[in-house]
Amino acid sequence: MSEMETSTPQTPAPALTGSGEGKYVYCIIRLDRSRDFGEIGIGGRARVFTINHNDLAAVVSDTPIVIYDPTRENVLAHEFVNETVMREFTLIPMSFGTVFRSEKDVAVLLKSTYQAFTDVLEKMRDKIEFGLKILWDRDKVVASIERDNDEIRRLKDEITRNAASSTYFARMQLGRLVEAAMEEASNRYVAHVHDQLKDVSVASRSNKVIGDRMILNAAFLVERKDERAFDEKVKEISLKFEDLLTFKYTGPWPPYNFVNIKLKLEKAT
Amino acid sequence: MGLLTNILLAPFLGPVWGTQWTLEKVDRVVREQLTDDTPIKEDLMALHLQLEMGEIDDAEYVRREAGIMERLREVREWRERFGMSTGGGPVRVADGDEEE
Repeated sequence: MSEMETSTPQTPAPALTGSGEGKYVYCIIRLDRSRDFGEIGIGGRARVFTINHNDLAAVVSDTPIVIYDPTRENVLAHEFVNETVMREFTLIPMSFGTVFRSEKDVAVLLKSTYQAFTDVLEKMRDKIEFGLKILWDRDKVVASIERDNDEIRRLKDEITRNAASSTYFARMQLGRLVEAAMEEASNRYVAHVHDQLKDVSVASRSNKVIGDRMILNAAFLVERKDERAFDEKVKEISLKFEDLLTFKYTGPWPPYNFVNIKLKLEKAT
Repeated sequence: MGLLTNILLAPFLGPVWGTQWTLEKVDRVVREQLTDDTPIKEDLMALHLQLEMGEIDDAEYVRREAGIMERLREVREWRERFGMSTGGGPVRVADGDEEE
């Protein structure tokens, strides 16, 4: 999933020898007092707390100044904190691995980006994100296409009947027809899913598909009150196509795919 | 940079200016490959999908993840060497202008 984009101007990298005073930032929420979320932070259950500025708060934990690899362990820790915070708050998620050198630097972030954060928090209020990946079984889809498409069926029969004499050209043509029919089928499934989920979501975003079996890799922004309706709709569609398609449905997530604040960040020296 | 060395040591194939042009192009391609973490991130997502689909187990995931992290670190080092921006590491709000 993509997160907020941080533009880092070109500055030579500093030596990364940490003093342990850094702050790992998970998300920004609206809260006018400090708050302790317990020892659930990244890097071995660090205490998660807030750094406040007016009615905004950055949810952070202490960290040495290091670069965090996006290992599953680290990513899960980052996500777990955001999930915990999300139970009570609307949040703006920070990119994985965002480390500030000091509490003061975080305060400067809140202060200088106050208006943008406030606007986005208002827009994202009571909204959550769901991820939906759809994979298909190529063989089964091809089989169903050959069953339903007259032209393809005829051509295939012809090739099988005259196996010896069937031309390279006929085979090529068959391959091309199947390819086109598959693309059309894929588009049709995807359009159907989007159409079905339109009324129970606020927005959607399609990301690049992963691997050759995936036909949809999308994120949906959903009102909290519609969570159940969205859920039921997804189950309904996945049942309808269970023979051909595999649905991978995840969430609720913070609105990773729908928040795009360009933060003017630079490497701290 | 094995590729560059191969080109440099290759038998003479054309006029000198041609070689010069090729070198610059190769240098650019090599540099792009060394500093682009997109394919590595795609591999990581594909690996994660395999785990989600139950095609590999946790142990296998962790084993292959280690290789991917190693490649990410290498790209990060090259980016730093070329003075390009890198994800991760301490950041702060840029000096000078206010937000947006």
